[in-house]
Amino acid sequence: MSSKMHNASRIAHARRTVQQLRIEASIERIKVSKASSDLMRYCGEHAKNDPLLMGIAASENPFKDKKPCTVL
Amino acid sequence: MGEMEELRKEAESLKDQITAARKTVQDTTLQEAAAGITAVGRVQLKTRKTLRGHLAKIYAMHWGADSTLCVSASQDGKLIVWDSITTNKVNAIPLKSSWVMTCAYAPSGNLVACGGLDNMCSIYNLKGKDGNVKVMRELAAHTGYLSCCRFLSDTEIITSSGDCTCVLWDIETGTEKTIFAGHLGDCMSLAVSPDFKFFISGACDFTAKLWDIREAQCRQTFSGHESDINAIGFFPNGNAVITGSDDATCKLYDLRADQELNTYQDSSIMCGVTSLAPSVSGRLLLAGYDDFNVNIWDTLKSERVGVLAGHDNRVSCIGVSSDGMACCTGSWDSFLKIWN
Repeated sequence: MSSKMHNASRIAHARRTVQQLRIEASIERIKVSKASSDLMRYCGEHAKNDPLLMGIAASENPFKDKKPCTVL
Repeated sequence: MGEMEELRKEAESLKDQITAARKTVQDTTLQEAAAGITAVGRVQLKTRKTLRGHLAKIYAMHWGADSTLCVSASQDGKLIVWDSITTNKVNAIPLKSSWVMTCAYAPSGNLVACGGLDNMCSIYNLKGKDGNVKVMRELAAHTGYLSCCRFLSDTEIITSSGDCTCVLWDIETGTEKTIFAGHLGDCMSLAVSPDFKFFISGACDFTAKLWDIREAQCRQTFSGHESDINAIGFFPNGNAVITGSDDATCKLYDLRADQELNTYQDSSIMCGVTSLAPSVSGRLLLAGYDDFNVNIWDTLKSERVGVLAGHDNRVSCIGVSSDGMACCTGSWDSFLKIWN
């Protein structure tokens, strides 16, 4: 690549970088306190439906091997 | 060059603006906010099933939407679809290229995909008329290895590549619909948002990027990691992103606050994170590491609450089923384990 083409592509890359940074700089941000409380609320609301968190009763665990029964 | 210098200055100024704007909304930290909630307590999961059959390192696994079937990919050149409850192999698909690095299950259950050092994403139809599983499409255009792929539907799939781009494909025509360029290093992992409107990518430039699929645009970039990001996932409500890196940490970034809220690290952990999956409530983060273990973290309090030790080699992949009942780990020891 000639040095002119090389410079042109470096400028094109720099323009794209600036354009992307403009997009990222312009977004609306919420407060960390609100973001945190929303995450905490989601965890709290869904905790009871989280089997790995709450544990699973043996009778309701499809992955637990059932012990064989003996008929007396 | 006058313009080059102007552009460089503007870029620096915009970066400073972003840093300042993030600081402005930082009225607390997640750890402070979560200080008052009850700790999770020790999480002890047991291996319930071991899926045996691969003859070499397992590189990837993905649960099917029914929470029973899952697909795994190994460098023995096979894709295996397992019934995780019976441990039966539903399909054993021989691959043209054994250098596979990723696999995915379509939400419909009709298709699986895989790819790797062949630079291609191969789509297989599991429900073909004559019962044989055949290659349906080979999506070829990436100029680097395929590191990850995820279906949006039976007609669209997103791939990430060592060529630093991600691509949205039209499966029927086998063509690229959108190329997502911007990362400055190999893209290693991707995850699709619960509403299918966005996806996130983690790369060897140490950043994670949020992409708007239809607008074909990068919305946000998250930094902070000190090495390659190998694994990425969405917090279940779609409002936060979790990353895992070679720097031995995982991080939680909130999308609406546009910043890092937590880092999951311990001085005793010095090896890279290979894979991660949150539990369905988001409270637990299960992360696979190079030291053969999975560490379980309390995402809100940033404490380690459990360890899954059972593999004899690196844990390369992990997934939590959609009903949250089980976690599956895949390892270089050639086994998959189901835990709950």
